[in-house]
This record gives sequence, structure tokens and C-alpha cells, in this order.
Amino acid sequence: MQKDLESKFLSDFETNQNIAHKICRLYTTNKEAHNDLFQEITIQLWKNYPKFRGDSKFSTWMYRVALNTAISLYRKSTRRVKTQDISNYDYRIKATDYDDTEEIQLKALYKAMHKLNDIDKALIFLYLEDKPYKEISETLGITSVNARVKMNRAKEKLKNILNP
Amino acid sequence: MDVLENYKKAWSNQPEETTKFSAIEIYKMSHSKSSSIVKWIFIIGILELVLWSGLNLLIPESFYKVYEDLNLTSFINIFMALHYIVIIIFLYLFFNNYKRISVTDNTQKLMKSILRIRKSVSYYVFYNLGMFFLGSIIVNIVMFSDSERLMKLMNPENLNLDTNQIIVITVISQIIYLTIFLVLLWFFYKLVYGILLKKLTKNYKELSNLESSIQA
Repeated sequence: MQKDLESKFLSDFETNQNIAHKICRLYTTNKEAHNDLFQEITIQLWKNYPKFRGDSKFSTWMYRVALNTAISLYRKSTRRVKTQDISNYDYRIKATDYDDTEEIQLKALYKAMHKLNDIDKALIFLYLEDKPYKEISETLGITSVNARVKMNRAKEKLKNILNP
Repeated sequence: MDVLENYKKAWSNQPEETTKFSAIEIYKMSHSKSSSIVKWIFIIGILELVLWSGLNLLIPESFYKVYEDLNLTSFINIFMALHYIVIIIFLYLFFNNYKRISVTDNTQKLMKSILRIRKSVSYYVFYNLGMFFLGSIIVNIVMFSDSERLMKLMNPENLNLDTNQIIVITVISQIIYLTIFLVLLWFFYKLVYGILLKKLTKNYKELSNLESSIQA
């Protein structure tokens, strides 16, 4: 039983790990912190896995646990260095549909998102991931109405940073 | 349309993370056990070295007089020097184990490392127990080989006592002392390293389950 659970978890996580990587990119600004956060997310996912009943998709559940881990970790260490050391990341767009403007957009987007607070980051992230409000509110544990209000504020903030 | 909608395409086209983790790496991260257990084996090994050498410094000079009387000082010194060299070699092994296990990303190798670690720890424990036993035996043999000197040592006031009686009492007390210390030492190792090794073994079992389920 334990064995099946474990290998199921590992294969599910392995295929969905890019979600965690995107969250790490958002909440950290260098490779080392990225990997630390990734490991913390991994630990939290595994710890909470027995409670995951499978009534939602693995990825949906993963968004929730990973974001909450990132948010709570971010809160704990407010003294976390906020260097804009984003050069370590490879923001290049997939080679198949290479587009210079998209690459510039993506860079600007990350740079702007790094300036948002932890909750706004999560909201914008879920928006960009094209999640419906119902899922956003469940993921962040707020009401749907509240999610809408907060989302609009977060979007305004982001727009102001992008186009001051 | 929302300005941000423009960014959505760029967002969804962003490349996947280049340095992805394999299932075994994820396993190691989510359990984060093996390498920390091995780290503790190394740290406890160092602490133990500090503890024993610290105790040696605390022992009063007068205690060594016994060795002097038995003409054992140089023997003890060489014995201790050798002992510390071996301990340092063991610590180096433990450190190597730790370094190796932290970079392993393959189940088979990880399992092999765990086995190697278990072996080196048990060698270490047997070495320490054996060394203690051997040292005590040698000191005792030297002590009993010269009954006149033994008498002087055990009966400094030169009381009128039976030599044989004193020898019997000394032998019995030495055996009791040796047994008690060996058992205590064994308990100490059992407690300190036993717990760590047990965790490591559990980890090993999980890994072999994982390995067989991946292959299945």
C-alpha cells in the first residue's frame, strides 16, 4: 500500500514538477533559493499526500500545497535577500515558436512580479495559468468574491509596475 | 481586452525548467533522510572523539602513576597515538560517506552507499569495543605478570595480607570492572549509532521497494 502510494506520488510529481519550478522562479531570485524552495515544496507535498483523496486533479492539489508553502516560507523570512539576480534563469521562449517580443515580455513580467507581495504573486500566477476563479479561491482559501476583488487590485498593481 | 492578456501567451510559452529532478531525486528530497542521517553519523563521530580526548585530559595525573609504576607509560602513549590515527581514518570515511551520499541520484548507488555506511559504522563500533578490551587485557597481563610489583601496588601500606587472596580479589574486581565498562560502552554505541542505523535501514527498505515498483 505504502509502496504503491509512494511510486504514484513520485510519478505524478515528476510529470507535474514544472508547476513547482514556476512557483520557485516567482518566489526566489537565484538558483540556490529556487532549489531550497523546491525541496521544501517536495517535503510538504509528500507530507500532505496521504490527505490527498484524489477528488481533485493532482496538479490542482499541487498548486495549492506549493503556493501555500511558498507563501508561508516567504513570510517567515522577510529578510530574504531581494537581489534581482535573475540572470541565472533561462527565460528564453521555446525554440519552435521563437518570438523576440515574447521573450522580452516574459522577462519584464517576471521582473514586475518579483516586486509584488506574496499573495499578489500567487493571484497573478494563477491568473496567468488560466485558472478559473473557483479554483483560485479554493487554492488560496478565500471566497470567490474576495478572489475577484483581490485579483483586480493585484492586476492594477502589476500594470502600474509594467507601465509606470 | 485586458493588457495583461498579452502577457499570458508569453507566460504559457515559457520554457520548461531545464534542470528537472528525477523520481529518485524527488524521493530523496521528500524524505530528506539518508543524507542527514549520514551527516549525523559524521558529527557524532567527531563529538565522540572530542568527548573521549576531553575525558583523558580531565583524568588526574595521579591516575597515570599506576601506569608509571607498571612501566607502561610509553606503551600507553603509543597505543593512544595509534588509536587516534585509526579514529581519524574512520572519521574521514564517515565524511566521505556523507559527501558521496549527498550527490547520489540513483537508487542502486544510494542503496550501495547505505550498505557501505552500515558496514563502516559497525566496524567502527567493533574497533572501539575491541580496542578497549585489548587495552585492558594487556594492562592486566603486565600487572599480574609481576606479583611483587602487584603487591606493592595493591597493598602500599604493606599490611599483613595473604598474597593469593589479594590476587584473587584483584582478578575478580578487574573482571567485574571490565565487563561493566564493556557493557556500558556497548549500550552507548547501541543507543547512539543504533538509532541512526535503524533509520538508515528503514530508508534502505523503502528504496528497495521503490526500485522494485519502478521496475515492475
